Amino acid sequence: MPEYRGVHGSSGATEDRRRRGRAKRALPDASLDDALNERIRPMRVAGRSGWWGLLAAVIAIGVVVGIAAPWRGSANSGPGLIGAAHRMSIGLKLAPGNLDIRTQSGAALDQILIGNVYEGLVARDGENKVVPGLAESWDSSPDGLVYTFRLHRGMRFSNGHALHADDVAWSINELRARGYQDSEQLEDVSSVTAPDAATVRIALKAPYASLLWVLTGRPGLVFDRRAHYDRATQAVGSGPYTITRYVPNSVITLQADDRYWGARKARTARIDVRYFADDTAAVNALRSGDVQVLAPLTQSLAQPFVDDPAQYEVKVGEGTDKFVLAFNGTGAATSDLRVRQAIRYAIDRRQLIASRGGADAPLGGPIPSLDPGYEDLTGLYPHDPAKAKRLMAETGHDRAHPLRLTLTYAHIYGSELGDQLRSQLRPIGIDLHVEVVEFATWLQDVYTNHDYDLSLVDHNESHDFYLWADPDYYFGYDNPTVQRLYRQASRASNPQDNARILAQAARIVSRDAPADWLFNYRITTATVKGVQGFPVNLNQTLLPLADVTYTPGKE
Amino acid sequence: MARFIMRRVALLVVAVAAMSGIVFVMLRILPGDVASAMAGVHASPGRVGALRRQFGLDQPLATQYVDWMTGLMCGDFGLSVTTGRSVSALVGARASVTLPLIAIGLAVALAIGLPLGCAAALSRSPRRRGVYQAIAIVGGSVPALWAGALFMILLGRGVGLIDLFPSQGFGGEGWAAPRQALASLMLPALTVGVIVSAGVMRYTRSALDDLAPSGYIDMAMACGMTRREAMLSTGLRLSAPRLVSVLGLTLAQMITGVMVVENLFALPGLGTGLVVDVGNRDLVAVQGELFMLTVVFLVIGFLVDIMHRVLDPRLGDDREERR
Repeated sequence: MPEYRGVHGSSGATEDRRRRGRAKRALPDASLDDALNERIRPMRVAGRSGWWGLLAAVIAIGVVVGIAAPWRGSANSGPGLIGAAHRMSIGLKLAPGNLDIRTQSGAALDQILIGNVYEGLVARDGENKVVPGLAESWDSSPDGLVYTFRLHRGMRFSNGHALHADDVAWSINELRARGYQDSEQLEDVSSVTAPDAATVRIALKAPYASLLWVLTGRPGLVFDRRAHYDRATQAVGSGPYTITRYVPNSVITLQADDRYWGARKARTARIDVRYFADDTAAVNALRSGDVQVLAPLTQSLAQPFVDDPAQYEVKVGEGTDKFVLAFNGTGAATSDLRVRQAIRYAIDRRQLIASRGGADAPLGGPIPSLDPGYEDLTGLYPHDPAKAKRLMAETGHDRAHPLRLTLTYAHIYGSELGDQLRSQLRPIGIDLHVEVVEFATWLQDVYTNHDYDLSLVDHNESHDFYLWADPDYYFGYDNPTVQRLYRQASRASNPQDNARILAQAARIVSRDAPADWLFNYRITTATVKGVQGFPVNLNQTLLPLADVTYTPGKE
Repeated sequence: MARFIMRRVALLVVAVAAMSGIVFVMLRILPGDVASAMAGVHASPGRVGALRRQFGLDQPLATQYVDWMTGLMCGDFGLSVTTGRSVSALVGARASVTLPLIAIGLAVALAIGLPLGCAAALSRSPRRRGVYQAIAIVGGSVPALWAGALFMILLGRGVGLIDLFPSQGFGGEGWAAPRQALASLMLPALTVGVIVSAGVMRYTRSALDDLAPSGYIDMAMACGMTRREAMLSTGLRLSAPRLVSVLGLTLAQMITGVMVVENLFALPGLGTGLVVDVGNRDLVAVQGELFMLTVVFLVIGFLVDIMHRVLDPRLGDDREERR
C-alpha cells in the first residue's frame, strides 16, 4: 500500500499547517489535545461563514438600496408639478410592425401616425364625421364628379420643407400608381391635380359618396416627396408631433414640433407611447404611475380602477369594431341557409357580452352605430333556441346526431369566445370544433384559401360595408341585389341617400345570415386623474394626441 | 488538447451548416407569409402578390436559401422585412435586455442554489433532508408566471407591499439610464433566479451525494479534514465538471426560456421578439435569430467541453494515453 504511506508521510505537514492557521486565528482556544480541537472547529467554521454571510447580505442590501432608492419618489414628479406636465406616457396594446404606413396594414399604424405625425387632406372627429385637415374647405361639382379642395396657407413638414398642393397630388397619385395600402378605395378616381399651390382637384370616373371619408384615412395622407428617410423606422410628416424614438413592439416617443404650422399645436411636449402585450403588465404600469393612460383595457381588469374614482377615471368609448362570426358561404354545410339561421338563433349574444364585462353593444348587422346606414337589426335574429333546433332538425341534425363544424380564429381574441359558442351550439345539434390559431395562419387558411366552416375576426375598420358586396371576399357571400345596392349607394350624390340605401342593403345582408355579428366591441379607457383631452371614441384607429394634457395632482 | 479543440470546432461547423438547412425548411412549412400578414384583411390578391415579389418570396426556395447562406458567409443576416432593420441590430438590441437578465438570474440562482445544495448534501438527519427535498421540488415546480406575479405583489413599485422595483418595462431610456434599466431587471431576474436555483440545488446535492461514499472523501478525511471540509473543498471541486455541464445547459435553455418572464414584465427581449417575428411571419428575421441562437447553444456546449478538460485534467490525459 504505497499510497497510504505517502499520505502518512505528508500528514505531519498538514497538521503543521493546521496548527499554524489555528494559532494565528484563535490562540487562546488552542489545545494540545487534537480531539478537543476537532470539536471546536465546526463552530469556528460556522462563525466564519456567518460573518461572510452577513457581509454578503450587507453588500446585497446596499446594492438593492443603491439601485432602488434614489429612484423612488421621483417616479412622477416631472418638471410640471404646477400646471400640466411636459411629458406623459400612454399604454396601448397592439404595436405596429413597422412605421411604413404605405405598405404595412393594421389599425395600430393609423392609431399612432394619422393626425399625430402624418396629416390627411381631411380628418375625422370623435363622432366619425369628416372635418377639415390640410384642406380648410372643399366643394363638389353638382354631378359629384369633381372635388375641389382649398388648402391652408403656410403649411410645412416637420423637416422644414413647405407643403404645397403638388405634394398632396403627388402623394395620392403615388398611392394609386404603386398600389399602396388601401389604394383600392380610390379605384373610382380618374385624376388628382394641383392647379395652383393652394388648390387640389380630384376628378372621379363616377360619383363616389365615400370619397371624403376615405381621404381621412391612409389614401389622403400627404408625404414629403423631397425627404429621404427610412419609412420603416422613421416618419416625416406635417403633423404636430415627430417621432424621436422607435423601439419595435415596445416604445414610440412623440415629440411636439414647436414649429408646427397649424393652430392646434401639441400641448404636451413629449409623449411616450408604450405597448403592452401582457394585460397584467399594462395594469401594473398604470397602477405604478409609469403610464397615465391605458387603452384598451378589458372590463374585468378595469374594475379596480372603477372602484377607485378618487385616483382614476374609466370611460367606455364608441368604436366600429365588429366581431364577425362568418359562415363560409361556399362551405358544404354552411351554404345551407337553415344551418346559418339556426346558428344565429342559437347564439345568446347577451350572455357573451355579459361574460366580457358588459361594455360591448349588441349588433345585429354589418353596419355599426358610428357608420352611415346604421339601423338596429338585433330584432332579426333574436335568441331563440327552439327555432334553432327546429331548423337543425329539418337538416337532419339534433343533439344525438350533431353536425360537425370547425371554428377557426386568431388567438388574440382569447379562447373563451370559442368555448362559449361551442356550448351554445351543442344543444341545437352542432358539434363545434374550435381551432385557435396564429393570425398569420388564419390569414392563410381562412382569408386566402377560404378553407373554413366558421371564422371569427374583429373587423375594426369603419365604412367597410363593401366587403359584403365582394363575392370573392372570404365570406363567400354573393347576393347580386346587395352588390347593386352598394354600387347605387356609392354613386349617391348626397349623404342621406347613401345612408338610406346602405341601410336597405345591410338589412338584406343580415337577413341572409352570411355571418353573425356577435357584438360591437366598445373600448374601455382608463386614465389617472388629471389627464384631459384623451380621445375615448374610436381610439384604437384614431388617436389624435395634440390636445392631451396631464396635470399631476398634489400628493 | 489542441487536437481535441480542432475536432470540436470541425463538428461545430458541420452542426451549424446542417442546422441552417433545418431552420430554413422548417420555417417554410408554417402556413402564411409575411406579405399577407403585412397586407392584412382588406388586401386584394394583387397587392399581396406585389409585396411577395418585392420581398423575393416568389423566388424558388433553393435560390432563397443560397441568397441567405451567401449573406451569412459575409456576416450579413439580412433585413427584417417587417421592421426594416438589420437582423443583427434587432438581435443586438434584444440581447442587451435578455443577456443581463440571464446573467443576474444565474447569479441569483447560484447564490441560492449552491449553498442550499451543499447544505442538503451535508445534512444527515432524514427529516432535514426531507425539508431540503421539499424546497427543491416546490421551487422547481413553481410556474414562472406565478413566481413573477408574487414578486410583483411583494416588491413591485406602486403595486407591491414594499415599494421597491418597477414591475414592468425596461426603464424609460434603456441602457442610456443604467440604474433604471438595472432596477427594471431586478424582479424578472429574481423570478428567473429562484426558479433556476431549484435545479442548481438539486444537481449540487446529487453530485455531492454521489461523491460522498467515494474514496475521495474518505481520503480527504484521512488527510485530516472534517467531513464537512472534505465535502466542501474536495467534493465540490470534483463535482465541478458536472455542475458546469448543468449550468451550460441551463444557460442555453434560459435564453429562450425567459420568454414567459420577459412577457410578464413587458421587457423587449429575445424570447418575446422571436414570438412576435414568428407571428408576423418575418422569416428572414426568425431564421437569422434562430441561427444565432443555435450558434450560441453550440458554442456554449463547446465551451463546456473545454471547461471539462480544464477542470478535470484526467479526461485529457486518458485520451492522450489511449492514442
